[in-house]
Amino acid sequence: MTIERARLALVSILVGTAIACATNPPAQLVAAREAYVASSGGLSAKLTPTELHDGKKALDQANDEFERNGDTLICRDYAYIAQRKLELADVKARTELDRQKIAQAATAGVAVRDAQVKTARVALASSREQLKDERRDNKITTNDLRATNSAQTKELEAEKEARLSAEGKLAGAMKDLAAVAAVKEETRGLVITLSGSVLFASNKYALLNTAMTKLDQVAEALKAQDPDKRMVVEGHTDNRGPDRVNQPLSLNRATAVRDYLVSRGVAGEKISAVGMGSGKPITDNKTSENRANNRRVEIVVANATLGLR
Amino acid sequence: MIKRLIASLGVLGITGCAAVAIPPAQLESSEASIRGAEEMGASGVPNARLHLQLAREQTDSAKKLAAGGDQRAVLVLARAESDAELALGLAREASVHSEALKAAASLAALHTLTNP
Repeated sequence: MTIERARLALVSILVGTAIACATNPPAQLVAAREAYVASSGGLSAKLTPTELHDGKKALDQANDEFERNGDTLICRDYAYIAQRKLELADVKARTELDRQKIAQAATAGVAVRDAQVKTARVALASSREQLKDERRDNKITTNDLRATNSAQTKELEAEKEARLSAEGKLAGAMKDLAAVAAVKEETRGLVITLSGSVLFASNKYALLNTAMTKLDQVAEALKAQDPDKRMVVEGHTDNRGPDRVNQPLSLNRATAVRDYLVSRGVAGEKISAVGMGSGKPITDNKTSENRANNRRVEIVVANATLGLR
Repeated sequence: MIKRLIASLGVLGITGCAAVAIPPAQLESSEASIRGAEEMGASGVPNARLHLQLAREQTDSAKKLAAGGDQRAVLVLARAESDAELALGLAREASVHSEALKAAASLAALHTLTNP
């Protein structure tokens, strides 16, 4: 009986083993085999060969177990482990790929930043050059301005000096003039009055010798005036005698004075002569003194350039 | 021969009933992988979370099998460790992939700055 039972158990084991050998591989083992095929043909073979090898070892153990004992729990355990290890190989391969991308991005970023720095440096150098040029130009301009200012200052100083000199000269001449003639400022300008009796003999228009000395001083005073000013020599008589005589006499006397002044250096184109006759007395002709005062020559230095008749 | 076979089965039976000692280094390695996966944030990554959970469950199963004298405890613990390592790998992949996307975006922005 016992022998029979033992035989039966042995037969059962042998039959079970035979059945196991003929059984199809479990789903886990099939999946693990497929996973290995996929992984060994993908990124894992290149990037994570060690992890792929670990998966392969687990798969080999699962295959060995299946070949020896069929679809056992041990076979399924090894297949399960193989699947996880192969998946881990793939995961690590993808992670490595991402790491490479990060490194490449970092390298590319550094290159871009380097290019930016280079561009900025070039721009900065250009700006510096431009600034340098501008400074140089400004310096040149400043020097030009300084030179111009210096020249203008010198010119102004020379003008001022000339003006002061002219004013001094004029003041001196006017002082001398005051000794020989009456000088006064009127609205029509500076009026220099010379007595007719000092200049001419009665009813004559030839200058007396004594007159010439006085007129020399008048000429100096007139030359010291503003050269742009116009001047008029006016001849005046008293009321004795007819106008047909007094008028030409006054003109001739004015002309004689004007010509003499021109001969002494007064600009001829600036000075003219007019005969006023007895028409513009400065006082009545009742007394001989008054008449003597009315017989006169007035030299008018106009205030305005075109202010004269 | 039959006697010998029966004796062998008897020995197997006695051994099967005794507690199985799991190699401490293997248990430690498995639990370290689980902790590593947790620290890497596997719980926040869906597929990593699944494997982390499987690792925990299988570690517990391995301990129970060992206590029950089942030799398979060692293999179940190996399964747990492979799940823990996969969870760790998946969590790390998610983190690195996120960094890669950020790096690509930064580079694109840099290019845009350079060539607007």
